[in-house]
Amino acid sequence: MSLDMIVNWMQATLRWSVPLILVSTGEVFAERSGVINMGIEGIMLSGALCGIAVSFFTGGVFMAVLVTMALGAMMGLAVAFLTVSRRTNQVVTGLMINMLAMGGTNLLFALLSESRRTRVATFPVLFPQSMHNIPIIGPILFKQPISTWVALILPILSGIVLYKTTWGLNVRAVGDNPQSAATVGLSVIKIKYQTVVLSGIFAALGGCVLTLGEVGYFASGGMTAGRGFIVLAAVVVGGWDPFKTALACLVFGAADAAQLRFQAMGSVIPYQFLQMLPYLVTVIALTIMVEHSRVPKTWGAAYDRRDV
Amino acid sequence: MKAIKKPKFIEVPFIGELALSGVRPILGIALGLLAGGVLIAVSGVNPFKAYKAMLQGAFGNRYAFSNVLVRSSPLLLGGIGVSLGIKAGVWNTGIEGYMYLGAVGAAVVGIPALGLPPVAHIILTLIVAMAFGAAWGLIPGYLRAYKGVNEVTSTIMLNYVAVFLTSWLVAEPQPLAEIGSFYPMSKLFQESAQLPILVRGTSLHPGAFIGLAVCVLLYFVLRYTPFGFRTRMLGFNPNAARYAGVNTRKQIMLLIIIGAMLGGLAGAIEVTGLKRRVYMNFVTGVGYESVAVALLAGGNPLGVIAAALFFSALKAGGATMSIQTNIGAPMTSVIIALCVIFVIGVGVSERRRLGKVQDNEKSEAVNEPKIKEEENVT
Repeated sequence: MSLDMIVNWMQATLRWSVPLILVSTGEVFAERSGVINMGIEGIMLSGALCGIAVSFFTGGVFMAVLVTMALGAMMGLAVAFLTVSRRTNQVVTGLMINMLAMGGTNLLFALLSESRRTRVATFPVLFPQSMHNIPIIGPILFKQPISTWVALILPILSGIVLYKTTWGLNVRAVGDNPQSAATVGLSVIKIKYQTVVLSGIFAALGGCVLTLGEVGYFASGGMTAGRGFIVLAAVVVGGWDPFKTALACLVFGAADAAQLRFQAMGSVIPYQFLQMLPYLVTVIALTIMVEHSRVPKTWGAAYDRRDV
Repeated sequence: MKAIKKPKFIEVPFIGELALSGVRPILGIALGLLAGGVLIAVSGVNPFKAYKAMLQGAFGNRYAFSNVLVRSSPLLLGGIGVSLGIKAGVWNTGIEGYMYLGAVGAAVVGIPALGLPPVAHIILTLIVAMAFGAAWGLIPGYLRAYKGVNEVTSTIMLNYVAVFLTSWLVAEPQPLAEIGSFYPMSKLFQESAQLPILVRGTSLHPGAFIGLAVCVLLYFVLRYTPFGFRTRMLGFNPNAARYAGVNTRKQIMLLIIIGAMLGGLAGAIEVTGLKRRVYMNFVTGVGYESVAVALLAGGNPLGVIAAALFFSALKAGGATMSIQTNIGAPMTSVIIALCVIFVIGVGVSERRRLGKVQDNEKSEAVNEPKIKEEENVT
């Protein structure tokens, strides 16, 4: 392995981790407040299609991001309504949102046949050309689209929000002990709605970045390929901490990037086994880390005000 | 406080008394179909026409209905596989992966000429397929029961692994692969390993009837055997089950493995009865659909029959609908998802999951610290 390839791999690692980090940011908040949003896979998929479609029809990346965020907020609201207000089971709700999104995106994508495989405007690169040529860190850091930088700063920001602000404290309180939170006058329902909608927004954004920041086209049949579930695993592996979760996302992104590099190299290992890599890494990481995680106390449980 | 303390033993875990309470599933389905109709109308097609095409496609003639039965086979087996888990509070979402492994197992013994008589060859194929499925199910089963790894994430990750494994096995250098095919696929199954066609001119294979038989069998198993009793007990009240001496970890692992066996069987039936070859993506979406079936059925084996037939009618009809109108076939999965969302969303659930969790925690603290590990399944 030459230095060039390592640099290339690290650059790809960052790029492939970005969608995961974005999605995980919202999911950490939702799960900290006690709601597992299992629908992020589907919301991500919808965001991916939405981003590409808006970018195709209006030509504006900024517009695409805005519309995608609005769509994510709406889908998050649907999940929140079902799981928080109707107290439906969070696993089922998420799985059905995924199924809905899978069918819906396939359906809509068939209608948008003209934009098929057409590359659309993607995210701009922030730093000038001259900085790309700095050895090693140039290609790894400065040749990245703006989305990568957002994803690099985001975990720090969300760490501050979660641990240093009142709202973050409220979110943690609601997840660990909703009765006490309600007793001191917090609206548990409202906070859960806020976090789940946030997870929807970030999930859609992550999907949008997957298409607009990386590949530039949408592919039918679930192009997110289980990344939503990888994020769910990353949140557990990262112990519901924004920063550690982002690190877990980096590891999974590295696996993704590595399998693509190895495929391109034409290694002796059949490419199908390389394709398994990210999924195997996820399961193994979960198995190793799960015992060390501190689970939010009411993780996955429905909240009923009358319980208080 | 009174309401929480009231013991509620007859509950399906995580779902509550939701399904089988009769009215709610039907109302939910009606709303789902209505919402689907709105979507069809929005895409510029008369929804009545579309649903009429769907009905014709499902029940119009005996060919159409045989199509429904063919499509119901993986849903029946997958649905009952998921239901078994739901009975004990386990989400076995890996049906698709088990189906791939089952198909691979079937291919290993079904493609080479073994010189067996047809019936023996078919039985051997199905048994090997079930063994392969079970072996695959052992992984998430063990991880969930003994390591506390959330089964939804692990099974879905393993589904992808199974797809790539299958794709490798049917690609050309491998002995099972068809030589010189445009798309990677396995060789044809031996005639003796293929399931018979029951009605000439249709593709009706015995799969649906095997699925029906399994559902009925498991209905009695769950009701009248110690195994079934342990399963239901685990679902109603895990702590009580543990105090009564049920090895809950083993039971959870067994339930996931049995679900995987049934998934393997479904995969084998699909390839030996319908596709006659194994190839990548020979099933898509059955994993989610099986969960939908199990949910609509509320985990009840007889309910699975009704739900699987309903969804397979939707799917078979949806194929006809997409030919006759301009609506794509994925509309079916949208309608199925909408139906389930409405079924679970209609009516405020009277369950108090939270109360239950906290009651559990109290009893843990007093009696058995070990339980905590299992409650915190992640």
